[in-house]
Amino acid sequence: MSECIRLEYEVDGQNFASAGHASESVKRMLKQMGVPAQHVRRVAIAMYEGEINMVIHAHGGTAVAEIYPDRIDITLADHGPGIADIPLAMQAGYSTATENIRSLGFGAGMGLPNMKKYSDDMKIESQLGVGTTVKLRVDFGE
Amino acid sequence: MNVSEFANKAGYTVFSEGEERAIESGYCGDFLSNIISRAPDRCAWLTVMNNVNVAAVATLIDCACIVLCEGVAPDDAFAARAKQLGLWVLGAKENVFEEAKTVAKLCNV
Repeated sequence: MSECIRLEYEVDGQNFASAGHASESVKRMLKQMGVPAQHVRRVAIAMYEGEINMVIHAHGGTAVAEIYPDRIDITLADHGPGIADIPLAMQAGYSTATENIRSLGFGAGMGLPNMKKYSDDMKIESQLGVGTTVKLRVDFGE
Repeated sequence: MNVSEFANKAGYTVFSEGEERAIESGYCGDFLSNIISRAPDRCAWLTVMNNVNVAAVATLIDCACIVLCEGVAPDDAFAARAKQLGLWVLGAKENVFEEAKTVAKLCNV
């Protein structure tokens, strides 16, 4: 594959105010590169949901975006508690978020479903007590 | 209709200004995951949610403006982020339903 632009971000797990910085940055980069708007939006949504999940559930983590001419690969890795039941977590509307989190507008149980919906490939690896890694691929084709 | 003209005609408070652009549709909601997946580009987003994440979501969806309803005003963190990101944040007195009618009428959407 031809050249890749690699961007790496620390996601601060203690700070809701900074959530979204990584996805905003990647979105700006993709727009500057001339990636079609519908794909930019898909990337932004999927990545933002991942960032928010790391803040809500995992005390932060790292987000890595690797941009190729035809796609973007995103790796979201945390050292949080892990996901006990991935199929259950993937169900729209299922959430373990607290009332406090819901009062901020999150916790609708749409995070992982949105990440799957707006990506072309999604893989979750999770181990209880160790952490979770979510890998997303979004293609820039038609 | 452009956002500044809309804000003026609707009599809304302007908390922060952004790039001048047309309002092409509307969307009402407070759950941010719903907003980012369903709100259309260049919409007026009507909400009563008041926290800094509203600014982040507004950027992701490329809405034309945020309309805070029922007299809600942005807190300091929200206002600062909106200014930094160049977002239109407007304030309206009535509830979301009533203000959606205002958007529909004035913007013909």
